[in-house]
Amino acid sequence: MKRRSFLKGLGAIPVVMSVGSLSLMAKDSKKPKSKNAISFKKALEVVTNGKGAKESDKVKLIVPEIAENGAVVPVKVNVDEPIENVKSIHILTTKNSNARSADVFLSPRNGKAYFATRIKLGGTQEVVAVAVLKSGRAIMAKKPVKVTIGGCG
Amino acid sequence: MQIDRRDFLHIAAALGLFGVGARASKRADDIKADDILDFNPVGKVTLLHICDMHAHLKPLYWREPSTLISAKNLVGTPGFLCGKAFLDFYGIKPGSLEAYFDTYLNFEELAKKFGKMGGVAHMKTIIDEIRRDRGRDNVLLLDSGDTWQGTAVALKTKGEAIVDAQNFLGVDVMVGHWEFTYGKERVMELIDKLNADFVSQNVVDNDPFSDNFEETVFDPYTIKEVGGAKIGIIGQSFPFTSTANPKRFTEGWSFGLRLDSLQGYVDELRKEKKVDCVVLLSHDGFSVDQEVARKVHGIDFILSGHTHDPGPRPITINGTTIIIAGSHGKFIGRLDIDIQKGRVKDFAYKLIPVASSLIPADKKGLELVDKWYRPYEKELSQKLGTTKGTLYKRDTFYSTFDALIGEAIRDTMDCEIAFTPGYRWGTTLLPGDDIVMDNIYEMTAITYPEVYTFELQGAKIASLLEDIADNVFNANPLYQQGGDMSRLTGVSYDIKINAPTGKRISNLKINGKEIEPNRNYVVSAWGGNLQNAGKNLRESKIKPVYEVVSSYVKRKGTIDISNRSNVNVLDVACGCPKKGGVC
Repeated sequence: MKRRSFLKGLGAIPVVMSVGSLSLMAKDSKKPKSKNAISFKKALEVVTNGKGAKESDKVKLIVPEIAENGAVVPVKVNVDEPIENVKSIHILTTKNSNARSADVFLSPRNGKAYFATRIKLGGTQEVVAVAVLKSGRAIMAKKPVKVTIGGCG
Repeated sequence: MQIDRRDFLHIAAALGLFGVGARASKRADDIKADDILDFNPVGKVTLLHICDMHAHLKPLYWREPSTLISAKNLVGTPGFLCGKAFLDFYGIKPGSLEAYFDTYLNFEELAKKFGKMGGVAHMKTIIDEIRRDRGRDNVLLLDSGDTWQGTAVALKTKGEAIVDAQNFLGVDVMVGHWEFTYGKERVMELIDKLNADFVSQNVVDNDPFSDNFEETVFDPYTIKEVGGAKIGIIGQSFPFTSTANPKRFTEGWSFGLRLDSLQGYVDELRKEKKVDCVVLLSHDGFSVDQEVARKVHGIDFILSGHTHDPGPRPITINGTTIIIAGSHGKFIGRLDIDIQKGRVKDFAYKLIPVASSLIPADKKGLELVDKWYRPYEKELSQKLGTTKGTLYKRDTFYSTFDALIGEAIRDTMDCEIAFTPGYRWGTTLLPGDDIVMDNIYEMTAITYPEVYTFELQGAKIASLLEDIADNVFNANPLYQQGGDMSRLTGVSYDIKINAPTGKRISNLKINGKEIEPNRNYVVSAWGGNLQNAGKNLRESKIKPVYEVVSSYVKRKGTIDISNRSNVNVLDVACGCPKKGGVC
């Protein structure tokens, strides 16, 4: 059992949780911010050069609905554009303290605008795949991934 | 009581059990069309469907839920119906054999009238009769899994007794979930013994050092020629096996819904393999499969399982028809398909109740059951005590058999809180029934039976409950895992089903006192992975749950469990709401 990842997954959920009037967990804001922290908003801004990205069917993002292990969540991105048109693929997350999980810069010698990897998710959130095109325009797709203790059967 | 006799005669006639004797002709006018086996055949192909037998070789009582709560958008839809809402939705007459099989209403009374349910010897009689009627080569028997686990004989033979029973029934194709809790190696050994194809498109090798990395562990599909047609059957094992059950059993295998690859196999079967009909044999759960039908195109039929729903009528979504055949061997689904010019033209379906007191047992079937029970008979038939009220499993938050298990754990382990998993399998005992060892196993027979005792912080208990609630009450079926809430002894709480994630539970009390977020509580739990979230595990106290419960029942003698739930639902007014939350 991956105890570390299990606890990590678990820890991320209660951040926003309170029971009745009782606030049970320390709020996120009380913790010192990591030097590597970068918000999703900021990350999207950086990778798209401030232009933002439009959701598009051309970006095909494959992630599990429920993570089997939050520490290694498989992510596949396929961009339905000729390789010459695609400059880079970026994988972002909406709630990790560092929202930038992967940046991949492509050249025509890659053959296909396709990339697969595994990323770490600190809790239930959305995974976002951004493709920056040669034109400078960016397109994206997003999907929620649940990180849970599981437990029924 | 007249019904028994009429139904029996009816079946007996249907099965040709009467010769030309005077008795048969005398009662012939008694035979009515609404017979258990009566069916207006369609086309040439018949698919017989079973799911979630949970290793019940012998007939049993199985009471359906009296509480089945879901997120608002799902209330009153198939998969979230029980009691009167169920009867009204499907147009079933209260007090009928169907009402007895499908709901909890008047269960004790109807149990006396109609008797036990299921059992392989009785299933065999029905299956053979349909094969005889339709022709052997025109019938397939498909099993949606959760077959190898759930009773003492299954556990003690590591699944072998059940594989023998499947071979005896003539299962042709199966998928899995609890099957995997015997561990990868044993699964492969049992598949070797099984005369059926084990198929799964969503179990993928995840071991980077393996030669088959990222390839499916089992054949994703099989193609069967039946009744002159080519049927492509894709397998879908339980997508969340590795989160719902210990990962160690399937280390190196990855699960998941994998709808993208599923769509790929559907297209491959249609375009390249030129099949006439595409079937998904699934252990996704009934509500998840309704989502699958919305998202994946080109599947003709989904034979669903996992959530234990009796589905008296098929439902069709986007041209995909979904059926599900209850649990514990209570039902056999019969699906007749008319295939013409490479397409499904028509179909007919019936959920056949395996009413074991009305359907004669197959002699060889009884011998098979006896063969596997004999070595353990002495232990399993041992009387431990009696129960005053009905002991049952199911229901969203609370059920009496679970409450008994929780009491036994608290009494034995000296803990403040006991967690019992929200599985949907088990057994039902009627008021006054003896509790024998076999019954304890029926509720607890798993390959990881350890009751762990450890410490858990108040805040963590609260967040765990929210996490579990978000799995059970998620508005999107794809994020549910198809079970009920974990059962807690020593804890009470209020819940608002439709509150946002992480904000459902309030008024959380431990043994009558408000929970203290920073205090550590002594918790005992089994059947999940809660112990990994705690600390100071009491290693010397670890004990199998069936031992804990059986010695407790023995100590107590008479078991008297309250029907009162420890959970107060704030935003749903009854256990079995209809659409719109109407009670």
